[in-house]
Amino acid sequence: MSLTDETASAPQAATPAGPEADRHRAGRDRVLEFVERYALVVLFGLTFLFFSLWSKTSSTFPTTRSVRVVLGDQAVIGILSLAITIPLVCGEFDFSVGSVAGLTQVLCAGFMSRLGAPVVVAVLAAVAIGALIGLANGNTVARVGVNSLIVTLGVATLLGGVVTWYGKGQTIVLHISKRLTDVGSGNWLGVPRTLYFLAVVAVLVYYLLEHTPYGRYLHSIGSNRDAARLVGLRVERLVLIAFVLSGLLSGIAGVILVARNGNASPQVGTVADTLQALAAAFLGATAIKPGRFNVVGTMVAIFFLAFSVTGLTLAGVADWIHDVFDGAALFVAVLISTVVGRKRAGLG
Amino acid sequence: MPGPGPSVVLGLAHISKTFPGTRALDDVSFDVRRGEFHALLGGNGSGKSTLIKILAGVYHADAGGMITVDGHTVDAERTSPEDARAAGLHFVHQNPAVFPALSIAENMAIGHGFERGVAGRIDWKALRRRTSALLERFDIPGRPDTLVRDLRPAERAMVAIARALQDQEGEEAGLLVLDEPTASLPRAEVVRLLGALTRYARDGQTILFVSHRLDEVVDTADRATVLRDGRVAGTVEGDEITEDRLIELIAGRPLEHVYPEMPEVADAEVVLDVRHLAGGPLVDVSFQVRRGDVLGVAGLLGSGRSELLKMLFGAYRVRSGEIVLDGRPVRFRHIGDAMRAGIAYVPEDRGGEAAFPNMTVTENMTAALVDRYWRGALLRHRAEDADTRAGMLEFGVRAASEHQELALLSGGNQQKVILARWLLRRPRLLLLDEPTQGVDVNARAEIYHLVRQAVADGCAVIVVTSDFEELAHVSDRVVVLNQGRVTAELRAPDISATRLTELAYTMREVAS
Repeated sequence: MSLTDETASAPQAATPAGPEADRHRAGRDRVLEFVERYALVVLFGLTFLFFSLWSKTSSTFPTTRSVRVVLGDQAVIGILSLAITIPLVCGEFDFSVGSVAGLTQVLCAGFMSRLGAPVVVAVLAAVAIGALIGLANGNTVARVGVNSLIVTLGVATLLGGVVTWYGKGQTIVLHISKRLTDVGSGNWLGVPRTLYFLAVVAVLVYYLLEHTPYGRYLHSIGSNRDAARLVGLRVERLVLIAFVLSGLLSGIAGVILVARNGNASPQVGTVADTLQALAAAFLGATAIKPGRFNVVGTMVAIFFLAFSVTGLTLAGVADWIHDVFDGAALFVAVLISTVVGRKRAGLG
Repeated sequence: MPGPGPSVVLGLAHISKTFPGTRALDDVSFDVRRGEFHALLGGNGSGKSTLIKILAGVYHADAGGMITVDGHTVDAERTSPEDARAAGLHFVHQNPAVFPALSIAENMAIGHGFERGVAGRIDWKALRRRTSALLERFDIPGRPDTLVRDLRPAERAMVAIARALQDQEGEEAGLLVLDEPTASLPRAEVVRLLGALTRYARDGQTILFVSHRLDEVVDTADRATVLRDGRVAGTVEGDEITEDRLIELIAGRPLEHVYPEMPEVADAEVVLDVRHLAGGPLVDVSFQVRRGDVLGVAGLLGSGRSELLKMLFGAYRVRSGEIVLDGRPVRFRHIGDAMRAGIAYVPEDRGGEAAFPNMTVTENMTAALVDRYWRGALLRHRAEDADTRAGMLEFGVRAASEHQELALLSGGNQQKVILARWLLRRPRLLLLDEPTQGVDVNARAEIYHLVRQAVADGCAVIVVTSDFEELAHVSDRVVVLNQGRVTAELRAPDISATRLTELAYTMREVAS
């Protein structure tokens, strides 16, 4: 053997400022990290407090009723933001989530209303169609190699057209199963039932992304696709599955739309919902685990956006504030994560 | 120093360049005469790239050096890219920055500015006319509207040359500096490009040509200057330019023509037996690696050294030949197959092919064995972290914690994490491509210490590095890869950097 053996004498990297300064710096870093992680949570708390105390909204905002409505209404957009998060983790965009929800909603209602299908069949068929659209998206992106943004935007536009054709531009209201609409409107233990669905989906997606090898693989692909391939990952297959899951969850969101609204309108479930979901996912990536798309952060972001917009609406601000707020959130979130990311890289 | 006469286009006098810890150039002086084809040669680390960067104004030389271009002398301590261009130095680099999707005319205009007509519109007619003239002058078969991607590789390089020289008045002014323009070209294209360059030189164009392919230089150069360890080892001209003489200058000692017979040592079992492997740049590669062996692969850029490792890892298409692992022929359809067979691979490009920069040290270290921590339907983060902490101690990774992002670690520590990722799998065969690139001296020693430990545990190792000194130091045996073939095999203690340099540069087929 003729390898070197200089390790024993290799000096440690010199620390110019000494251990005292090191400890100081480590302490400061920890504080900074804490602020970064929980800034959005604190902001959420402060917003809630503000609308609860502000004279214009203090009578309407902090009531059980309005809190329930806001919570119940977030199930669909919440599930959509979880759906969009899965491909985002591996570095792909799925711009079709809102439109898939729009289509599956119309189909689910249509199956019951026009074909007289039993509720279970209608629901399962709708969810399966969502998954199939995801499969088509994933195949085109992962196997053929087309840019995901373009593919899914195209699919989103196409689905919008299909919805108008299938629903003839009308809202489907007749023969919607009461068992389904009960789920959408009722409460369990004082909490809107739809929220339980969101909670279950959130826990499942959290588990998938943080506690399964599959989730870890998606993070790896998102971080460095070539390196992921060189640790033996079948990148195409994994990315394909991400799109199937995203389509499946969008299908579930479509069913919950029917349950919540009691009908299926062609105006519901569009690219606008996708953008809202995207805003929440990006805003969520600045919290809890900064720099990473994560479920808890996304959920905090959803409710922060929802309560802020509700507070402003109750204060008498016009409807357009909704779009402005979501758009600004997306903008600020991407800005923050870019600036913070650059700063973190600079620290090394 | 005597003032350069009018026949000298470029005069270099006493150019030195010191980087922290190394002296890359030490008192380099030589001239390039008007109208000559002058080759600049040297091994890895000889200082030729540094010299080119000083000429281009990218680096500043140490105080005391002078550069004379066309009779104007400037202080080499204060050069700038603008000065170099104004003085008439034109550079074309290894991968010429042509735009394949644009036409030849558009490529010309990007270096020069578009011809403008009324109201600032592009005057395509004038541009086409000027491009036609350039195509004729530089003998490029194509029309102004031909897309550059439709040209052959050599012709693309010629477009880059024409673009660099388009503003020059006449053939005899200025100097064309070509930095390894043939390194990434196939053989037939090299011949084509050299033919064109010879024609330009005959028309009076002065050319400074940096290369590592000796046969090219022997056939075409009027004079050749060789750098070794930052100094001018010698300048040869005319009939004096022979492969033997150049190798002597590059390696620093007379060439040995006799290759000693290898003593057969056959104690440990053969882990890997590669038979007539071909694919990509590899033509015919055969060698064996034994248990507890470190096999070095010496080869220049483009010799196929990196592709060889990728083929063994199932990450590059094998055209023909056989890979026999532990006595069984294997054919990997997927990287996962190679990993299951006990092969590990640390790629050359850490940032591009190995690191997950925004993920934690833990996630990086366990990336190749995530499923080990998947127990009872949960990814066991605590066990992962505990193993990573142990790994950080074992592999000497210095980080604030196992949760720190990899990008925040130094290059050496990142590389140790990547090495740990693979050694934790206890591989049978470890493939290392430039394992110490961008790593400081201490980390380099630590990395090889870790490799040696793995070897002691029975792992076989193949190392590729362009640092022949390092290769000589760490290898039990070295195979020399030259133009896709194994041309020689050396065994410790007969491995030395000079010997490897000779062999890597020799174009001749060597009987083994």
